[in-house]
Amino acid sequence: MSIIVQRRSLLLAGAAVALVPATAWASPDLGKPAPLFTGTDTNGKSWSLAELKGKVVVLETTNHQCPYVAKHYRAGNMQAQQREATAKGVIWLTVAASAPGEEGFVNASQANELTKSRNAAPTAVILDPQSKIARAYGATVTPHMYIIDAAGILVYKGGIDSIPSSDTADIPKATQYVRVALDQVLSGKQVAEASTRPYGCSLKYGRNNA
Amino acid sequence: MRRLLALLVLLLPVWPAFAQPVVKTDNVRAELISEVAEVKAGEPFWVALRQTLRPHWHTYWKNPGDSGLPTEINWTLPAGVKADPIVWPVPTLIDVGGVTNYGFQDDVLLLVKITPPADLAGPLALVASANWLVCDDVCIPEDGKFSLSLPVGPAAKPADGATRALFDKARQAVPMESPWPTRFGLAKSGDPTLIVEVKGLKPDTISNVYFFPAEWGPVASMAKQSASVTADGIRIPLKKGDAKGGPPQQLSGTLVLTEKTGDGVHRQAFDVAAKLDPSFVPTAQPIAAAGGEQLSFAEALLFALIGGLILNLMPCVFPVLAMKAAAFARLAGHEKSAMRRDGLAYTAGVLVSFAAMAAAVVALRASVGEVNWGFQFQSPIFSLLIAYLFFVVGLNLSGLFEVGGNFAGVGQGLTARSGATGAFFTGVLAVVVATPCTAPFMAAALGFALSQPAPQTVAVLLAMGLGLALPYLALAMTPALQRLMPRPGAWMDRLRQFLAFPMYASAVWMIWVLTQQTGPDGVIYALGGMILIAFAIWLLRLGNQGGTASSIGGWLRRGLAAAAVLLAFAAAFKIEDSPATAASASGGPATGVSFDGWDHYSRARMTEAAAAGKPVFVDFTAAWCITCLVNERVALETTATRKAFEQAGAVKLKGDWTNRDPEITSLLKELGRAGVPLYLYWAPGADRPKILPQVLTEALIVSELTSSSQAKR
Repeated sequence: MSIIVQRRSLLLAGAAVALVPATAWASPDLGKPAPLFTGTDTNGKSWSLAELKGKVVVLETTNHQCPYVAKHYRAGNMQAQQREATAKGVIWLTVAASAPGEEGFVNASQANELTKSRNAAPTAVILDPQSKIARAYGATVTPHMYIIDAAGILVYKGGIDSIPSSDTADIPKATQYVRVALDQVLSGKQVAEASTRPYGCSLKYGRNNA
Repeated sequence: MRRLLALLVLLLPVWPAFAQPVVKTDNVRAELISEVAEVKAGEPFWVALRQTLRPHWHTYWKNPGDSGLPTEINWTLPAGVKADPIVWPVPTLIDVGGVTNYGFQDDVLLLVKITPPADLAGPLALVASANWLVCDDVCIPEDGKFSLSLPVGPAAKPADGATRALFDKARQAVPMESPWPTRFGLAKSGDPTLIVEVKGLKPDTISNVYFFPAEWGPVASMAKQSASVTADGIRIPLKKGDAKGGPPQQLSGTLVLTEKTGDGVHRQAFDVAAKLDPSFVPTAQPIAAAGGEQLSFAEALLFALIGGLILNLMPCVFPVLAMKAAAFARLAGHEKSAMRRDGLAYTAGVLVSFAAMAAAVVALRASVGEVNWGFQFQSPIFSLLIAYLFFVVGLNLSGLFEVGGNFAGVGQGLTARSGATGAFFTGVLAVVVATPCTAPFMAAALGFALSQPAPQTVAVLLAMGLGLALPYLALAMTPALQRLMPRPGAWMDRLRQFLAFPMYASAVWMIWVLTQQTGPDGVIYALGGMILIAFAIWLLRLGNQGGTASSIGGWLRRGLAAAAVLLAFAAAFKIEDSPATAASASGGPATGVSFDGWDHYSRARMTEAAAAGKPVFVDFTAAWCITCLVNERVALETTATRKAFEQAGAVKLKGDWTNRDPEITSLLKELGRAGVPLYLYWAPGADRPKILPQVLTEALIVSELTSSSQAKR
């Protein structure tokens, strides 16, 4: 008779699954092929992850008005890491993921202006006004960081560093997760801290297409 | 000028009397407040950072969710003064364009306990710098420096009433420790499922269940949660989070749910710390939604069928079945079609009875709202009648009487009828007899059927009925099996007589059930009633053996027999009058209501005590009522409240409505209440009770008790 009791939970669980709405998107798994995407950068150039095989790729979601993004640009931390990485042959893609009308939305010329004024040095800034790339990667915040190795495998996801604050004074004290992980990827090692807590402003997905 | 002064004076009371440690930004008005106006050395007290937020903006909980940061307070305190970490109130779920945040809106108090040293001298200066992130669509990090200087006195002096009320409200918003065992299992995918073992919950009264994980990592806050509530507890399937490393050993967080009580809706929050249960591997997600549900429903039917088969082996069903087998053996040699008709009729009897029960369950559920299997056993009358039935069937098997026309109307009589009608009623009898015998098992097993929509409930019950009828049906339909039956002979009578004993045993068991409901008095009524019934049977048997039915002696015997039977049944009414204890043998929930320090409620006791001029506090509660439990924990059973009750000399009565005690039901109706919790307070000398709110606080009860005792003086 007790069998029936156990079956009940199964039955209810089945019903529960049916109720989970399709809008819940998931964070991609580490160690698996990273979600493919294509996007257009601020100079009209098209980028496709599939074509970047053989290169290590860094994704950085951004919203220049977000205080946490501003923290790392104000202190020069983000630009410094972009330079270090690209000097080693890494493709660094900054993804402007805010939807139109939301905080941090930029058009191509505004984005280029920001790159110039902040002295930023990513390989390219991809415009993602429909937040397609952000959604594919389950990005929740800006900056949300991802590293994809030369084989197209997702090897890091999480925060830029270990101290979640908006205070630039915390940057020198923090572990720069992305820098550490990149070094490990480039020297063929396993990434030790491959999933960390991302922190920042909520990613500004469009209100109606969420 | 004078007018201006007057205006200033009018405005003054708006500002608290002490120094203003307020920081105002565009989005937040933050203030450091203290529950005491004067500190006593060595005595801990509470302060709070109060954030009053711009509409639609929010600050964050200790786990902010997918984005955001919790508020931080850094204290600068004189030597020896200790500040505890923030005690967080229950967060709300804030959806920002698909990103899940846990935080606070409108007005929030972050409580901090301050412990000054015993040798504290001079005013106590509390200095804090706090920072918080406040977000709407956009996020703004803000910070502020706060200072508060509190004089030190010989005794702690409470702050003004408004401030104290703020703290009271804030404390109510802090989750309480979960009183239930909590565990979680990991599916093969690594997704955890949390189980909170709250027994006897009423699924329709619980809604909006959500688990706020205490930290980032083990649980993905982004995933929607869809908890299920059953009589066995709450089950929350979760999605695993992004934390790397091995599976979590513990899952901490805050469980929030909404309970609909008779007269309102209450949001309750509990802190849970679930341990990993390696033996529990939830199997939920890979099944396609619709197909999966179909499949498990089919499985439920299958298991119900097997359950019905097992019923045949139950001690009190067995005799009925054996009776049937004996009758069947007698039929041996008859035409196959007769046998088949017999088997089908028996099956029909079983199925009709199960359908009738299913209909009763569905109808009752529609009217009462919920039903337990074996609900009928919460009625002592039913237990008594079933005990009688077992006894009479036993007597018949023993051979005390053969059933003739005299007993038409007793089920057994009908079953002895020849042909299909007899077979049909044997089926009915098998079900009637099987149900009580198996109620304790079925109570758990059929919880499933009862929690389903009506068609499923009926289908599962019918499957179980089919299982019960199946062995006999198979026998009737298969000549090959029939050949295996032993030939009729003297053994049949011996078997029949032997089978009386399990029947008597079942009657004894039923009487035990009855005593659980009525107390020891039930034994006298039940056994007395049985003697009367046996006496009546004997009288009637005399009538059958000799004399004419129309003789005066015959009428006298019949009259006496009828009187004896009536008397036996009158015991049922007597039993109904006697007080029922809280839990019946079958329907009662696993956890009971505690009467420690409380007297059992009865109307007489309440009115007597009130008439005697004593303060009387009455608590109507039920084992399945979460709000009742919370009130007990946070308000009724605290040290301060107990002391206040004692000092007031209050009479504390508790009424247990777990089994819908009719006396309490009638009182609830009188007061226009649909259910528990209900709290009544009779001030000393009052001619009517005051109905207290459904959500109690310590302060509320203490003030009721003290104000009325002061009024008395």
